[in-house]
Amino acid sequence: MSVPDRLLEASGLNVAYGEARVLFDVALTVSEREIVTCVGRNGAGKSTLLKCIAGFVKPTSGTVALNGASLLGLPAHAVARRGVKYIPQDKKVFSDLTVRENLELGAYATRDYRWDRVLGYFPKLGTLMQRKAGHLSGGERQMLMIGRAILGNPVLLLIDEPTEGLAPSIVAQLKEVFKDLSRTTALVIVEQNLPLVCAISDRIYALREGRIVTALEDRASITPQMCEQYV
Amino acid sequence: MTAALRWWGGPIVAFSLLALMRLVLPLAFVIEVLIFSIYTIGCSFLLGRVGFISFGQPAYLAIGAYGTGFYLYYFGANPLIGLAVGVAAGAVAAGIVGPLFVRLRSDYFALVNLALAVIVFYLMQKVLADITKGDNGLWFLTNIASTPLIDIARPEGFFFFALLAGLAVWALYKYIDGSVFGACCLAVKANDDKLRFLGYSSFSIRLLAFVIANTTTALAGAMYAVYLGFVSPEITSPARAADPVVVTILGGTGSLYGPIVGTLAYTGMKDAISKLVGNWELFIGFLLVFIMLAGEKGIWGTLQPLMQNALTRARARWRRDR
Repeated sequence: MSVPDRLLEASGLNVAYGEARVLFDVALTVSEREIVTCVGRNGAGKSTLLKCIAGFVKPTSGTVALNGASLLGLPAHAVARRGVKYIPQDKKVFSDLTVRENLELGAYATRDYRWDRVLGYFPKLGTLMQRKAGHLSGGERQMLMIGRAILGNPVLLLIDEPTEGLAPSIVAQLKEVFKDLSRTTALVIVEQNLPLVCAISDRIYALREGRIVTALEDRASITPQMCEQYV
Repeated sequence: MTAALRWWGGPIVAFSLLALMRLVLPLAFVIEVLIFSIYTIGCSFLLGRVGFISFGQPAYLAIGAYGTGFYLYYFGANPLIGLAVGVAAGAVAAGIVGPLFVRLRSDYFALVNLALAVIVFYLMQKVLADITKGDNGLWFLTNIASTPLIDIARPEGFFFFALLAGLAVWALYKYIDGSVFGACCLAVKANDDKLRFLGYSSFSIRLLAFVIANTTTALAGAMYAVYLGFVSPEITSPARAADPVVVTILGGTGSLYGPIVGTLAYTGMKDAISKLVGNWELFIGFLLVFIMLAGEKGIWGTLQPLMQNALTRARARWRRDR
């Protein structure tokens, strides 16, 4: 089996919000078609790490490189155009726009109009095209946000707590979608649902108080019990 | 065919009604409504679509008017070229200040635009008085040459021109509303961070929206200049800075019919009340406060659902009777 190529490399990342330091010398690597998960308690710095990679938070020091090219200093929209799409935790879609318009926004930015791919993952969106996104359920919003992000064949998806507050049936559906997506795209997921984390992750980083305290790399040996001590 | 009819049906009915108003109302009033509607539609777009409130619209109105005025006073006689110069002046001015202004939050944006209106007012009244003729203004009514097809140098011809210009501007904004750019504008208003996740530069979207809106405002200014044959600093008076915002809110923010309905109501009220009482501004002020408290969606925003319901009921009754 060949070793997948290194896609994203972050090292020595330090982030502070004013006086409060949030990340301390964080280093993380993601290879192509890999699912990497970050676990940790609230306030551990997981979401900040994703925002930092996506260009929304500027680190005080450190490097972030995609395929060897630095992403530091690029505005968030330029990072997105390089194929790194961030899906935030709050599930806030553009509520005044219809589902179709939300997807159009994703399509137009990337000039990728193959919606059939999105509907292949989330057939339910096909029946909701004319509905205002503000009238969707939490699960439907998450589908829309992921569907919008995968237009344009991103190389890396950064997904923040995708299953938070969702019904088990939707979580099961998302699990299959993540596995499918990882055939073509690398994923970095921040998640608290440990059975899901253990079922899909190739590698797990555990964060505590802004530091990576362990990296679990042996997929076969990862169990929810191993992860529990970090959440 | 049906889709085209649906797209054009509303505006054609609206502008036909405006044209018919000419039969019962003074020409000057109808032309004022048409030009003021064009003036307001940019403000309505900025407020309803992009989430920017601007108290500086008189600045762009004046830049359009003086662009046209300078051409017709100093350089030439063709009013169509004058209009083009005014519109170009507005687009250039918006393109210069836009990159600075659209970075600001909505409240600061409102104030910095008001400051621009004050600057333009004093530039035209004092600093550039040698070429603007200060408070006396530029008079060029007799310089304006006739134009082929529709002679916009004459009020009747100008009325048809204003009608067509209004319809064209309305169609442009209707097209923008249904486009991806229109969706981006709404998305900027809702949450520009989320738009950046998708790979859009929210700055570029705001800037383009700002330039489009203020170029439209400059068109209204240029039209005033050609219609009146006169421009003075009064056009950019900071005291009138709130007018387009008031008309936008009065008509219904974000709706394409709002500026037309708001202008009709505002201009009509001003016209009627000023004939009846002395301190008419005071009455207008109280009336506006009452209208806005009574229906925060504005006149069109309140009427439109009622009309829609009535239409749906009438259709259902018609189908049942058949």
